[in-house]
Amino acid sequence: MPDVILEVVGLTRSFGSVVANNEVSLQVRAGDVVGLLGHNGAGKTTLVSQLVGLLRPDAGTIRVGEADAVADPAAARRHIALQPQAQAPIDGLTPRQGIELAGRIRGLSARDARAAATGLAEELDLGPWLDRRALPDGGGLSGGIRRLTSFAMAVAAPMPLLVLDEPTNDIDASRRRLLWEAVRRRGDEGSGVLVVTHNVAEAERVVDDLVVLHHGRVVASGPPARLRGTQDRDLRLDLQLQPDGHDPTTDEAPASVRVRRHVRAGRRVLLTVPTDQAAAAVTWATTLREQEHIDGFALGPVTLEDTYLALTGSPPAGESSPDSQPDESDPHARTERPDEETAHV
Amino acid sequence: MSEQTLTTPPGPAPTRPTTLPAPSAAGALTTYVTLLRWTLSQIGAMLPLIIVVQALLAAGIIVGFGFLIPDIDPGTALFLSTGAPTVLLLTLGLVMVPQGVSRARTDGTFHYMRSMPVWRPLLLAADLTVWVIVALPSVAVSVLVAIWRYDISLSLDWPVLISATVLVTVTATAVGYAIAVSLPPLLAQLVSQVLVFFVLLFSPITFPLEQLPQWFQAVHDWLPARPGADLVRAGLASDTFTATGRDLLVLSAWCLAGLAISLRALVRRK
Repeated sequence: MPDVILEVVGLTRSFGSVVANNEVSLQVRAGDVVGLLGHNGAGKTTLVSQLVGLLRPDAGTIRVGEADAVADPAAARRHIALQPQAQAPIDGLTPRQGIELAGRIRGLSARDARAAATGLAEELDLGPWLDRRALPDGGGLSGGIRRLTSFAMAVAAPMPLLVLDEPTNDIDASRRRLLWEAVRRRGDEGSGVLVVTHNVAEAERVVDDLVVLHHGRVVASGPPARLRGTQDRDLRLDLQLQPDGHDPTTDEAPASVRVRRHVRAGRRVLLTVPTDQAAAAVTWATTLREQEHIDGFALGPVTLEDTYLALTGSPPAGESSPDSQPDESDPHARTERPDEETAHV
Repeated sequence: MSEQTLTTPPGPAPTRPTTLPAPSAAGALTTYVTLLRWTLSQIGAMLPLIIVVQALLAAGIIVGFGFLIPDIDPGTALFLSTGAPTVLLLTLGLVMVPQGVSRARTDGTFHYMRSMPVWRPLLLAADLTVWVIVALPSVAVSVLVAIWRYDISLSLDWPVLISATVLVTVTATAVGYAIAVSLPPLLAQLVSQVLVFFVLLFSPITFPLEQLPQWFQAVHDWLPARPGADLVRAGLASDTFTATGRDLLVLSAWCLAGLAISLRALVRRK
C-alpha cells in the first residue's frame, strides 16, 4: 500500500515491570486523520516518543514513509512534524518568530516561512498575539496561545506525517474548533495525521479512524461510526448520581427497561438502552429523581464516549501508569490532568 | 461543546491531492543559523545582562584576589591577571552551562529540539556558539581591569590567545554539557559546585604550580585546568610564559571527550 505513511507493527516497550506499549499495531494513510485515545498512562506518549526516535522500542517495527524508524530514526524525523505534549520552547520568541524558525528548520525558504506564519495566524485566529513575546515562567502569552503556537510550529511546513500530542489542552472553545478544522485540513491536503487526545467528543467529528489504547494495548480501532456501534438502535441514559455516589441502577431496573451496557464514570452512570424503551427509561429516571436517588438525568443518542468508557473503564485512582514512570524522556506525562479521565462532553 | 461547533464533516476528503507532502529538512548551514537565532532569542533580553555580570565577575576576580596578597609584586600580579580569564571561562562552562542544560531537560526544550529533523551535532554546535559569545567579553574585561589595577604590561600573541581562549571555552562548555546530560539535574548541580571550588582553590591557575604538593602537580598534568591556563597565559604574556604541545594535547583530549559524551546523550534513545 503506497499510501501508508505510518505503519506500526507489534510495538512493545516496557519501563521496568510496567509494559507501556504492548504489541501495539496501527496504521495511518496519507490523507487520513487517526485519533489515538486513551486514559492517562495508557501509553500514548510512549508510542509518540518512539516514532520520533526519543525512545527505543523493545520489539516491533515502525515504518514512516520509506524509512525504518527503529533502524534510522533520523530519516523518520525528516517525515514527521511533532507537536509534543509539553509546550514548545518559545520563551523570548513571538509566535511569528517561533512559526518561522520551525518552518525554516523543516526546509521552508525564508519567504515561505514568513508566509506560513501569516497564513497560520489567520487560520488559527492568532493575529492579536502574533508579535507578542512569550516571557519566561509563562508570562507574555497564555497557555492556550502557547499551545496554538506550538501547533502552528508543527504544521508550518507540510510534512508527510503530523503527530499531535494533546493539541487542544488549554485552548478555548472557539479556537479549539479552528484547530480541529486545521487538523482536518492537513489531512485533506495529503498529510497523515496521528492525533493523541482525551477529547473523545471533539475528535470523533474530525477523525477518519480511531485507535483506543488501554494499559498499553490496542483495545479497539476503526472508524468512529463502527466503534460507536449501536447508535441507531440505542439511546444513552445519563444519570447524575447523588453526592454519596450510590448507584441506584445496580439495585434493580424495571422489567420494561433492558440495560444493554452500564458504565460508571465518576458520579455519572451511562446506560445504553434500546430506542423503543425510551419512554420507560424516562419514567424510571424520573421516578429515581423524585425519590432523590439521582440528581438529574439526560437521554440522548449513544456517543463514542460511551463506547470509549466501556472499553477502557475508569482506572482506579492512584493506579500505576506507564507514562508517569520517572523517565526523563517523558517529562510531559505528569502534565496530564487527572480530571480528564471521564473524557470531555 | 455542542454538536454545532464543528462544521467540518468527518470522513475522507472528497478529492485526494495529487501531490503529497514530501519529507524535508533544511540544509546544515540554514539549520545551524536557525538554531543559533532560536537560542539567542530565548536568552534574548538576558544576554547583555549575562555578559555584563560575567564581565563584573572578571573584574571581581582580579581585584578580589589582589586583596589576598597585600604587597603584590609585578610577577605575581602578572601571573594572577593572566590566570583570571581561565578561571572565568572554566566556571562559566562548569556552572552556567549545566544549569542551562538541566533547565532545558526539565522544561522539554531538550526533547523538542531532539524531535526535529536536525543533525544532532548542530544542536550542540549552536549551544556552544552561544556560550562562546557569552564568555569572550569577560576575557577582555579581566585583562583591561588587570592593566588598570596592577599596571601590568602584556605581550599578546593573538593567534595563540584566540585559539587558546576558544579551546578553553569549548572544553569547559562541552564538559559542563556532558555533566548536565549524563547526571540527574540535582547531582549535576552538586558536581558543578564541587568543580568550581576545585578550579578556584585547588588549580594552579591564579597561583604557580610549584605551590602544590608534588603528587598534586602530577594530577594536574592530566586535568584541563592547568594546561588551559598555561595556554591562555602564553597568549596574553608571550614574553614571560610559554605553553607546551602537551598542554594542547591534554586540553584537546578533554574537549573531545566532553563533545563525545554530549553528542552521545543527544543521539541516544533510552
